[in-house]
Amino acid sequence: MADSGASPAVSLDSNKGWNRSNSGFVLLVGAVSILIASPWILPEFMQTILIRACLYAVVAITVDLLWGYTGILTFGQAAFFGIGAYATGLVFTHIGFSPTMALFALLAGIAVSMLIASLVGILSFYPGATPLYATVLSLVLPIVVTQVIFSGGTFTGSSSGLTGYESFNLSIAGWLWLCGGFLLMCTVLARRFVQSDTGRLLIAIRENESRCDYLGINTSRIKILLLVCLSAVSSVAGFLYACYGMVVAPEMAGFQFGTEILIWVALGGRGTILGPVIGTLLIDVSSAYLSGDFPFVWKLFLGLSFVIVIVVMPKGLLPAFIQLVRRGKFTPGPSQQGRLQVAGERRLDGLASQGNLALSVKGVQRRFGSLRVLKDVNFVARHGELLSLVGPNGAGKTTLMRCISDGRERSDGEIFLNDHPIGKLSPFECVKLGIGRKFQTANVFHDLTVFDALAVARTRLDRPSVWERTRVISLPLPAMSIVQTTGLDALLQMPCRLLSHGQKQALELAMVLALEPNILLLDEPTAGLTKPERTEIGRTLTKLAEEHKMCVVLIEHDLDFVCDISSRVIVLHQGEIVLDGSVDEVVHSELVRDIYSGSFGMPEDPADNVKEAS
Amino acid sequence: MSMLFDILSTSGILFIVSCGLLLIFGVMKIINFAHGGFMTLGGYVPLLITQMDWNPWLSLPLAFVMGLAFGAIVEVLIVKPLHSRPLDAILATWGLGIIIGQIITLIFGRGVQFAQSPLEGTVSLAGTDYSLYRLALVGFALVIGLSIGAILNGTRLGLITRAVTMNESLARALGVNSALVRLSSFAIGAGLACLAGTLITPLSSLDPNMGVPWLTNAFMLAMISGTSLVSLAIACTVLGAAQVLVSVYVSPILGSLTIVVLGALALRIRPQGFARG
Amino acid sequence: MNVSMWFRASLLASASLVAMGTQAAEPIKIGMPIGLSGANSVVAPSVVQSAELAIEEINAAGGVLGRKLQLEVADDGSGAAGAQKAFNSLIYQKKVDVLISMQTSAARNAGLPIVTRGKVPYIYTSFYEGRSCNPYMYVNAWVPDQQVAPIVDFFMKSKNAKSFFLIGSDYAFGRGMLDFTKSYIGKKGGKVVGEEYLPMDGSDWTAVINKLKTAKPDAIITSTAGGAPNVTLTKQLRAAGINLPYGNLAVDEGTAKDMGADAEGIVISGSYLTNIDSVKNKEFLAAMQKKFGANLKTPNDLSVPQYEAIYLYKAAVEKAGTTAVDKVIPALSAVSYEGPRGLIQMNKQRHAPLTMYLGQVQKNGSIKLLESFQNVEPGNQCPNLK
Repeated sequence: MADSGASPAVSLDSNKGWNRSNSGFVLLVGAVSILIASPWILPEFMQTILIRACLYAVVAITVDLLWGYTGILTFGQAAFFGIGAYATGLVFTHIGFSPTMALFALLAGIAVSMLIASLVGILSFYPGATPLYATVLSLVLPIVVTQVIFSGGTFTGSSSGLTGYESFNLSIAGWLWLCGGFLLMCTVLARRFVQSDTGRLLIAIRENESRCDYLGINTSRIKILLLVCLSAVSSVAGFLYACYGMVVAPEMAGFQFGTEILIWVALGGRGTILGPVIGTLLIDVSSAYLSGDFPFVWKLFLGLSFVIVIVVMPKGLLPAFIQLVRRGKFTPGPSQQGRLQVAGERRLDGLASQGNLALSVKGVQRRFGSLRVLKDVNFVARHGELLSLVGPNGAGKTTLMRCISDGRERSDGEIFLNDHPIGKLSPFECVKLGIGRKFQTANVFHDLTVFDALAVARTRLDRPSVWERTRVISLPLPAMSIVQTTGLDALLQMPCRLLSHGQKQALELAMVLALEPNILLLDEPTAGLTKPERTEIGRTLTKLAEEHKMCVVLIEHDLDFVCDISSRVIVLHQGEIVLDGSVDEVVHSELVRDIYSGSFGMPEDPADNVKEAS
Repeated sequence: MSMLFDILSTSGILFIVSCGLLLIFGVMKIINFAHGGFMTLGGYVPLLITQMDWNPWLSLPLAFVMGLAFGAIVEVLIVKPLHSRPLDAILATWGLGIIIGQIITLIFGRGVQFAQSPLEGTVSLAGTDYSLYRLALVGFALVIGLSIGAILNGTRLGLITRAVTMNESLARALGVNSALVRLSSFAIGAGLACLAGTLITPLSSLDPNMGVPWLTNAFMLAMISGTSLVSLAIACTVLGAAQVLVSVYVSPILGSLTIVVLGALALRIRPQGFARG
Repeated sequence: MNVSMWFRASLLASASLVAMGTQAAEPIKIGMPIGLSGANSVVAPSVVQSAELAIEEINAAGGVLGRKLQLEVADDGSGAAGAQKAFNSLIYQKKVDVLISMQTSAARNAGLPIVTRGKVPYIYTSFYEGRSCNPYMYVNAWVPDQQVAPIVDFFMKSKNAKSFFLIGSDYAFGRGMLDFTKSYIGKKGGKVVGEEYLPMDGSDWTAVINKLKTAKPDAIITSTAGGAPNVTLTKQLRAAGINLPYGNLAVDEGTAKDMGADAEGIVISGSYLTNIDSVKNKEFLAAMQKKFGANLKTPNDLSVPQYEAIYLYKAAVEKAGTTAVDKVIPALSAVSYEGPRGLIQMNKQRHAPLTMYLGQVQKNGSIKLLESFQNVEPGNQCPNLK
């Protein structure tokens, strides 16, 4: 099988001279210098505005991470900001002020926020939840928090809020350094985070969550963790806000504030971290100056810009600006260099270890209301087989494939992967049982590069770093050979969307193989491929079945292709298996000819058909 | 007894406010966050009418027509380009709501104002006095609901609208002009929102942001109801009753939360809503 | 080089003289953070009008210490969040010399830390729940110790009321006023059978009215935020057919007029009524009518103290000889002004003794005077401040 230890590494160096880390460093030094000098160069009024704006910008960063990077539209970060602020106000008002109390307030706010965030996360991000539901919940959260504050009567101050409590006695310059420093720190950490493996993973989830599910990634857990951590950050910003302003009011937790943050992030540039920060600072400072004198016109202008940006320039103003500056030069993704190597041979452990039967389908049914798409499907498949599923359109092939890879899909019956029942397991859990599924339409990640896509595919097996960006990914031999034979190894820096159709198909196959599955499901792998590409993929699949002993199941319409490579063929018609046998048997079957020419008889007499159980 | 009237009238008001949103949600599967803005727009129509000394009942048809017109413009300019980006459509319509609020402020000023109720006074029913206008709103809810139902079930536009609601791609494959359906649904939904605003302002007060608090309740009700008007009526009654009961027996503040919280939980249990069939 | 040096020196000297001269003519800025939007927006225009008249009159008479007065208005949204922005903008951006304004208690409380940080004198001209104390603040409007007793006494004596139902806006003012009312009723042997609150911006009183009907009190006393909540509550009370004796602790004459027929019968208690029979009041009303004509908003208990406060500030600055805060603050308690409400002096722990009037709203919107009380003391408001 694979040569263990040998590493025919394919490396790609893209040295860029004045590269990103240099310019980032200069920016950082510049920002720090401005911050330190600001009490002397900025007018006092602007300093007071900036103190608040810096804290708002921290919350904007959390929203950008959730929305810009992970695709979760959230109105709810304001709620955590408010919780942090109110924890502080309540502690200082009802208990008293002291450094110990301040620490207590800070920790209490963080604890409550994280608790609520986990509840909201579990509610919003369950497997199968729609993005709309998550957004709706994120809108409900600040409303509930505000109303809870209102219902607190004199304890929470209700409509008045809490004021007049004692707090730290810093000068305005002191507060500016503190809050500005906090913002800088959060920005730097966030930038580092989004350029790490995990940052890339978040983008993958945003681009194609379904694909991530089928790569064995527990997207729900990642989203919940992200929300919980970011809620803590917002809470800290709220704490600082309450300490500075010495006032906490219900509007701080309200959804109007939540939508304002979204506006700053959208205008600044979602998915850039820097865009929202600059956007928030600029807009907030401008609002302070302009909304005194031209309150309506300014807000109207903001509203108009917001709508225009969403409709016409969804990426926001900063990226548009940068593109203008760079004059539209093609800028590759965050990864600078990438290298592939062959993974050491891994013993498939646990659930995915080769079972007696690779795949076992018993009495599977799939109903949609009164429509039965699959009726009592039974078959088994072994490792080393190359099984083709054929049948006319509407026979239920893709539905069957869906049932095999997703435990929640079928209405009845049992499915075993490597002798383990899949019960009601979701796709990412089925991947753990050893299955990999390639979709009909090339299902890769729009904005990520080829290298990134492969790295994401390795997430389940090679834990991604929260800090670093791994520059070397290990691919198992089957995946590596696909990458090499299709020439993808020379295109590691290319964004997926620029690949040709055939290259996308190859990439997706490589990604699925990177999971190291021993059962492979492929839905029309030759669709849209040229003749040489088809021959190539046929050779690959045969090799996977014979040499690597995988169980390969594919859905195909190209009957010549099927005859060329399959070891066994199953014919599906109107939800039932009508034939299960060797290529010869199927080719010479009258039944199959009738089915495909449409002259097949009534569905009510399946007993007349030859149905060979294997 | 008074409580029963409270429940009835609250349900009626909720129905009037939500039906426009339901229409848009059912057909286009997006939530029109400008709904609050359209309601506010409608709310200011009675003010205009009073200023021009016309019959106050004229504000109803005027508001509806205004909503139709604005809704159509908005659909073409903002909603259609965002067809494939539903989350962005939510944001864009929210932005639109802000714009409407600011334009109203520019024209009418930002202060709180008050509109006269076209129906003054109380009526004595079953032993208690109750606001005549609130009861009249129940009647309006019925009339509006039945009218929409009649259009949906009795006209060709209604038929193709229902088709698009169930399965847009299939409808298009059958030759239905889904773009027209979307345009008309959005316009009518906006018209209904404006009408709702006109009907509810006499109950309390009028300011550039009055529509916003209704938005969350309305879309929660719309999402629970899925695509059916009957479901909406039931949802409004059940949740309206819950709101009134919690407001009276626990606290008015937590009462205002009942609909959104119960709605969020209901959606978790049955994400596609409770429409039958 | 000598010549040019002398030339430069004299240029500099004359420049500084000119600067000092313009400094002397620089206006005194009066900052006015007020609820142009939100609950108070119904009342705010009348308050701004009072301020404008006072400033116009003072400037026409030569200003204060030779300097003109200039008004800077900022919207505080009638709430805490907006107040932070408004106070910040007035103190740090416009650099006002003094803040004189009527605001909700939520806004006032949010602004006080900024006032302390910015060290600016602040005259609060709105009636409120009492006991708000800050080294920079003075109050020339009434507190519950001056206002509540007449209404409760009137209901208990003339309407034989023994049980009361209290309704308020849920914030410092609503709670504070009704707390005081509750203990006063208790002291006088009455009973409170219900106490309900809605948030300041709440406008749906259905549940509260429902509870009211169940409790069957003899009289209602309400204390909502001034402006919109008053109107919506009264509207909905009347729509529900409630005609009990109704005392409103927080409605001004102007809002009562706006309420139209709904307001008939409401009993109010305050330090100003337009039909106060004094020379100063008649002069004031005439001047307002002349300046604003058809746009005049009824002067009321929330707007007249604003007018008087500006004159009090003028007196204090003239007494101190400067606008410097450390001189003006002590001067503010030493000066007095004869205004439409009578002689006003803020010398009782930063608050002012006032003449209070008990009135009842009539069908045509005017107020019928029932009783008046001379020189009511504000009680113990800020014992720690002089």
